[in-house]
Amino acid sequence: MFNVTRLIHTSDPDRLLPELRALAAAADRAVVQPTLPGVRNGGDILMHLRFAVDAQWASVADEFAALLSGPAVSHVDGAQYRGMPDVSDQLAPDAVYRTLLLRVGPGSDAAAVKRFEDDLRLLPRYVPSITSWQLSRVESAVGTSSWTHVFEQEFRDLEALTGPYLMHPIHWAYVDRWFDPECPDVIVRDRVCHSFCRCDTVVLG
Amino acid sequence: MSDGEVYVIDRVVTCPGRAREFVERYLAEYAPGARDRGMTLREVLVSPPIWFADQSNTVTISWSLPSARAWWEMTWKGRPDSALGKWWSDISELLVERTRGVAATADDVDGLCDV
Repeated sequence: MFNVTRLIHTSDPDRLLPELRALAAAADRAVVQPTLPGVRNGGDILMHLRFAVDAQWASVADEFAALLSGPAVSHVDGAQYRGMPDVSDQLAPDAVYRTLLLRVGPGSDAAAVKRFEDDLRLLPRYVPSITSWQLSRVESAVGTSSWTHVFEQEFRDLEALTGPYLMHPIHWAYVDRWFDPECPDVIVRDRVCHSFCRCDTVVLG
Repeated sequence: MSDGEVYVIDRVVTCPGRAREFVERYLAEYAPGARDRGMTLREVLVSPPIWFADQSNTVTISWSLPSARAWWEMTWKGRPDSALGKWWSDISELLVERTRGVAATADDVDGLCDV
């Protein structure tokens, strides 16, 4: 599927949310929600759209661009990419959708990037509260960095994101070395965007 | 659940004749900030225990933290500090190679994975 993610920094989310949701009806699946406390560089509104074909996005892209160029929007980070999710469980009633935008440093060794991606894919295996996930390479990026990857997950609830996902050794003792400037393996040196929100409909799964 | 001490282990192979200089600089320049971030220095091992003049030494430095959460707090304090990455970059002139590992005692593995 063709995917569009936007992390929107706005002073007026109450006005912007219904307008974004109206436009998002063009997508096959969409989440347009206020972000939850604890995001880092994650914006005030998280918008993720999934289209069966690129042309669906092309038909509404200009309208989104116009809306997001208004005075109430101070900054947008985002990406467009393709990918299919890996689904292990049904969406839970208190589910949380989370997305991570990251940039692998230019000039990184291709084999290292492959190992990095393989390591990210290990996380859902060890954290069963991830009910679906998708790792994608970015085709086009907007915002602060030339984002290279998007790593999305649906969690059973918020506690699953802030507890088991963070605290399992697969995260802090193994995968995090790619993000840690103290580790020689580091390849993600720029700031990342870590954003999440409630999702009451299936986004990935 | 999710309990147990966490160890951070720096292992470096020094350039020939540079091991003593590396250890002195590590302790003087790196260790104070690491302590401020919550790490406790356990030991600095030099192998073989000879300050070689013309061969490499392997230096293994281990630190401990009281929990996985303390590990995150440590790294969140250090990550915004660009001087930390620069320190590792600057010290690389004394090193042939290095690794950083994160470990726990075997007795704590099951508890740490039970999140």
